[in-house]
Amino acid sequence: MHGWAGKVLDIDLSKGAIKNYPLDEETARLFLGGRGLGARLLWDAVGPGVAPLSPENVLIFATGPLTATGYQTSNRFSVSTKSPLTGTVLDANSGGYWGMQFKKTGYDALIVRGRAPAPVYIEIKDAGAKILAARHVWGQRVRATTQTLGQNNNKRNVLCIGPAGENQSRIAAIMNDGERSLARGGPGAVMGSKNLKAIVVEGTARPQVLDQEQFKFMLYEARKLLRQSPLTSQALPEFGTAVVLNIVNHIGALPTRNFQQSQFERAEAISGETLAEKYLVKNAACWACPIGCTRVSKTDKIEGALSGAEGGVEGPEFETTWAFGAQCGVDDLAAIIEANAICNDLGLDTISAGSTLGCAMELTEKGLLDSDLRFGRADLLAPTLEALGARRGLGAELADGSLRLAKKYGAPELSMSVKGLEMPAYDPRGLQGQGLLYATSNRGACHMRGNMLGLEVLGLPKLIDRFQVYGKSSYVILHQNASAAIDSLVVCKFTNLGVAEEYFARTLSAVTGVKYATGDLIRVGERVWNLERLYNLREGFTNADDTLPPRLLKEPVSDGPSKGWVNQLEPMLKEYYRARGWDERGVPRRAKLEELELGAL
Amino acid sequence: MIDERVYEMFRDIGRDLFEADMVSSHGGNLSVRFGDRVIIKRRGAMLGRLAPHDLIETGLEKNDSGVALASSELLIHRTIYKTTPALAIVHCHPRTAIAFSLSRDEIIPIDNEASYLLKKVPVIWEEFASGSPEMANNLAKTLAEYKIVMLRGHGSFAIGQTLDEAFHWSSTLEESCEIALKTKLINEPFIEYRGMSEGYKKW
Repeated sequence: MHGWAGKVLDIDLSKGAIKNYPLDEETARLFLGGRGLGARLLWDAVGPGVAPLSPENVLIFATGPLTATGYQTSNRFSVSTKSPLTGTVLDANSGGYWGMQFKKTGYDALIVRGRAPAPVYIEIKDAGAKILAARHVWGQRVRATTQTLGQNNNKRNVLCIGPAGENQSRIAAIMNDGERSLARGGPGAVMGSKNLKAIVVEGTARPQVLDQEQFKFMLYEARKLLRQSPLTSQALPEFGTAVVLNIVNHIGALPTRNFQQSQFERAEAISGETLAEKYLVKNAACWACPIGCTRVSKTDKIEGALSGAEGGVEGPEFETTWAFGAQCGVDDLAAIIEANAICNDLGLDTISAGSTLGCAMELTEKGLLDSDLRFGRADLLAPTLEALGARRGLGAELADGSLRLAKKYGAPELSMSVKGLEMPAYDPRGLQGQGLLYATSNRGACHMRGNMLGLEVLGLPKLIDRFQVYGKSSYVILHQNASAAIDSLVVCKFTNLGVAEEYFARTLSAVTGVKYATGDLIRVGERVWNLERLYNLREGFTNADDTLPPRLLKEPVSDGPSKGWVNQLEPMLKEYYRARGWDERGVPRRAKLEELELGAL
Repeated sequence: MIDERVYEMFRDIGRDLFEADMVSSHGGNLSVRFGDRVIIKRRGAMLGRLAPHDLIETGLEKNDSGVALASSELLIHRTIYKTTPALAIVHCHPRTAIAFSLSRDEIIPIDNEASYLLKKVPVIWEEFASGSPEMANNLAKTLAEYKIVMLRGHGSFAIGQTLDEAFHWSSTLEESCEIALKTKLINEPFIEYRGMSEGYKKW
């Protein structure tokens, strides 16, 4: 095979059994890799009734046909599992070096099953895989573990969990290369439940590219496009992802104090510009990435065990800045950077952690929870996160996310989540399409499942009216499908800010020799999206779960550019089901499944 | 009743096409796809003067009373939507591009902007041009590979996520052809300034 390595590694930790087998070519054609391949393998491996934290759940690490080819941002990979936070199908993906290195060991995917009797880590090299004792690193934080196990970018890469994963926090991330995360939905807890501390990879086999001449041309064109776009050549390298914070705040779509407002009066203090001016050490990049959006930041408190590259730490990203900033009413950027550093070291999803803190703050201010947490208490971020990672005191309750917390204290409506996954940094009242996107996202509220920021705010490819309701579902569907395809290639979605899907399709064709037109690639995404939907339906989810927190449907924005708006979900959702070829209950029709070659499921 | 925000998109792009001399008084066409619905210009309506009642909504697959009023090119638009991921189509009559389409099977831009955005524009032809199933299938099949295609001697069909985007490809093509025409008039040796430009021929 070209592009694909052509092999799957399958490890059962309960039995200590390691095997490998060929990747099915038809499955590869239909689902590509990454998220798509993960969803397809998960469909067979984990059925209904399997508890996410039981040995019967699996972790599927998957790369795609472009991974490690040297194409721009071809460093990414994903993990798929049943989420312990939401109970839905889950995939999370990450950049850095690990994905590229894993592909170079000669595998497209790794399936981890069972539960080891004692803590272990897996080491994968060209020669094969080993299960090794991990007692010496169990209990260690992420940076220490990564260092102990020999992280060496480009040669040996470490993926691991921190204390949050070991303690099976349902918002625990899996971390790779020290500071990168597969964060959303709690995959770190699944890894912890398997007594699996880390996976270390060392490989030398580069994937084969069929049409080298065309591939070089596609590389050249993509490089040109990424250099031409001010977003990918200036904004992201200079300010990181937080470059959009001021923009989103300006239009009245930055959720503030647990979505009670949609503008943060102190946004400037936590913006990408302020980060660059006061705390940025340098920017950095993942393997084969010409964009370089990674921040390396430093504050007075970032030292010793917390410090990483050049005495700084990677991040914070926009979502993290929002989660510990506007969502918690905090304007102290140094405290936000430190909160991010702690989350990375404990192995925590920063969006869910910050949003859960914001929920706890509102519960406290409404007199429903007895705690010191109040909006604006920057001083409490660090100690609360430490308690959360250790499941200590109130931290034990925060460790399972905002929905379980809010339910316990009698106010589930104060959890700003969909299907139990905390919403990211865009208020759906000011961005109608983003609301539909959150409500219908298969892993719960997510901005990486077809972000409408491009169309509704940035004008990519062209600006549409953010308050438009009629017809909005078609844009959402197209972008959901495209994002599922990109997650299956796997490349970084930021590449897509400059490079359209047409280029990915032509590159994929050149690499694999399998002909993909743009529509074929989008169709892969649609197939993946429908398979994920089927998975959730099989788990018992219904159209009632395709919704938003009541606040966003009933409480109009009180002031600013989105004043008076709630999210008009109902008409958009009705239109969405029809446009997807689903029935009025949100179940894919037989004809749609046949069309997508999913009829056998 | 067509949504006001949707009407405004049609009105603005239609007016711009007319003012840019890319359609005659009653020529050209616009449509958008919203799920299993298509909104298209009324038969005989003028793109430069679209009123709300000039937009017709009908099914992508199924006929309804809307088809009695819709443009004669409805079949082409439906076929394109069913074959490609397009959410919008702009069909216009860019004059210089039409002139070039009479003498070649593909238009390969020589200017920077169109090289960058379009790479190559195929020219296709069917005996019974407008509205025929053969033409619809041929166009749709080609638009699965390219974002803009020329119908020989007739005009361009461009696809995009929005009308705005499809208009962008259309006006870029016409601008490129005008530059190519003027280059022919100047008639001096072409100096290649683009890297890897051989790649455009294989696009």
